[in-house]
Amino acid sequence: MIRQLIILFYIFIGVLMPSVSIALVIGSDQEEIYIDANFSGEELLVFGAFYSDPSQSRDSKSDILIEVVGPLEDVALRKKDSYFGFWLNSKSVTFRDVPGFYYLSSTSELTNEFLTNNQIGLLEKERSEMIDWSSLTTDWGSVVNEKEKKEFYNALIRTKQNDSLFKQVSDEIEIIDGNLFRSYIDIPNTVPVGEYNVNLHLIIDNEVSQEYSYNFMVTRVGIEEAIYSFSKNYPFFYGLISLVIAIVIGWSGAEIFKRFRKV
Amino acid sequence: MSIYLPIAELSVNIFLLLSLGGVVGFLSGMFGLGGGFLMTPLLIFIGIPTNVAVATSANQIVASSISGTLGHWRQGLVDFKMGGVLLIGAFFGSILGVWIFSKLVAIGQIDTVISILYFALLTGIGLSMLIESSKVIRDRIRRKSVKQKIHYHNWAHRLPFKIRFYKSKLYISVIPPIIIGFVIGILSATMGIGGAFILIPAMIYFLGMPTSKVIGTSLFQIIFITALVTILHATTTFAVDAVLAFFLILSSVIGAQIGVLAANKLRGEEIRALLAIIVLGVATKIALDLLVEPNEIFNLSVIRLVF
Repeated sequence: MIRQLIILFYIFIGVLMPSVSIALVIGSDQEEIYIDANFSGEELLVFGAFYSDPSQSRDSKSDILIEVVGPLEDVALRKKDSYFGFWLNSKSVTFRDVPGFYYLSSTSELTNEFLTNNQIGLLEKERSEMIDWSSLTTDWGSVVNEKEKKEFYNALIRTKQNDSLFKQVSDEIEIIDGNLFRSYIDIPNTVPVGEYNVNLHLIIDNEVSQEYSYNFMVTRVGIEEAIYSFSKNYPFFYGLISLVIAIVIGWSGAEIFKRFRKV
Repeated sequence: MSIYLPIAELSVNIFLLLSLGGVVGFLSGMFGLGGGFLMTPLLIFIGIPTNVAVATSANQIVASSISGTLGHWRQGLVDFKMGGVLLIGAFFGSILGVWIFSKLVAIGQIDTVISILYFALLTGIGLSMLIESSKVIRDRIRRKSVKQKIHYHNWAHRLPFKIRFYKSKLYISVIPPIIIGFVIGILSATMGIGGAFILIPAMIYFLGMPTSKVIGTSLFQIIFITALVTILHATTTFAVDAVLAFFLILSSVIGAQIGVLAANKLRGEEIRALLAIIVLGVATKIALDLLVEPNEIFNLSVIRLVF
């Protein structure tokens, strides 16, 4: 079904835009990811097609890059140090505007040069020599030297990667018939709610030739949303209701079992 | 099958939660304890954030101590006056405790402090249970009976502001129970425990309360102290997870009742020794987490969403 749709799309675009040598279309299987009681992460399907003019030669190398950027957060990164044999938190750095989720996928490995030139890829900053620290953090705390800053930056990327919240891959995009592609993106159950941007780039000869973006939302729904917003808006009554539930279950549990024991 | 916890903001296996609640409930029913001292560290082990584990444990203890108090109340074993005096101290203690807790969260030291407190508490509990149960087992083998004093007279009887506690047959100053309540309040708010393990010996040895009234009275005051801690956490740290609490309460209430039945059929000392070993095992795990160099020496926490 999706595939037929893509092909239709691709024919349509081909008819509509004969002057463009390569056109790009993209879609996704869902515009919204709902966090409900059963939410345990989700697989997001991103698919699309790139149409190339058959009259032009195909020797130029084309690549597809999919970037998913989650809502921005401020995060505190803390380093443990050994004090008298105990591993305790010591230095702390606050990073500003860090995406809660970041995914970068391409059909072949991209060079650092390309990523730096096009300002794509958070993970690549790790390797690049010049890091604009001022854009990253407001509070370095007691971290002063360049080496330590870099250590913290690398740790930020690493801890996010370990939580499956940052990912950079070059083998997850599936190409079908040379012009259709699809990719399944893992959205782990710890993702923050908010707006996510999906950016698609068509790269030809190391240059971005086409760009396409769209958004999707991660939202809490149903009972999850009700409980969460109630706990934030009416914390006192939320606490009170939590208590009532505890009292009712505690009391009735004792009563039920008392009768049960008498029988 | 997993369930998404709205406040902890992650999903956990529902059967893992139910069995955790059930096992802790079973142990608490069997030994007449709140079980918070096992619940909180076990929740942290399965990946629940520390603040959510502490706040939600307090909520769960409300349920388990209500179940327990009812039985003692019917038998007239609750000294409400003493419970009330303890609560005066506990009220201020838990306010201070929640304040300390939120400060520790703000400076990022909450995990460490909780670990150290739990290590100390569990080691103390585990060792004292192990010593006590092995002594009972040894005495049983020697067929010796242990004589117990009915009434202790100590410094608690010499302080001012003395009032009469008819039910406990005591005429003592209100200062020691208020101080004890205060300390328990702090511990309850910071650790998510009822504090029976400290409260009961303190009531027996410092206040000289009769052993028969101690358990009911401590359970009675734990209901209120943990209820207060739940409200304080809900309004200041926003860490009470109602969904998590619901599953823990449901399973622990059932577990506790089965534990009570089991306690009547089994011999106490051996099981108490077993519980002591479980408690020491948890303490050892906490100690190792503090002492062994972690794989990842960095840890990340979200401060706020940027809008």
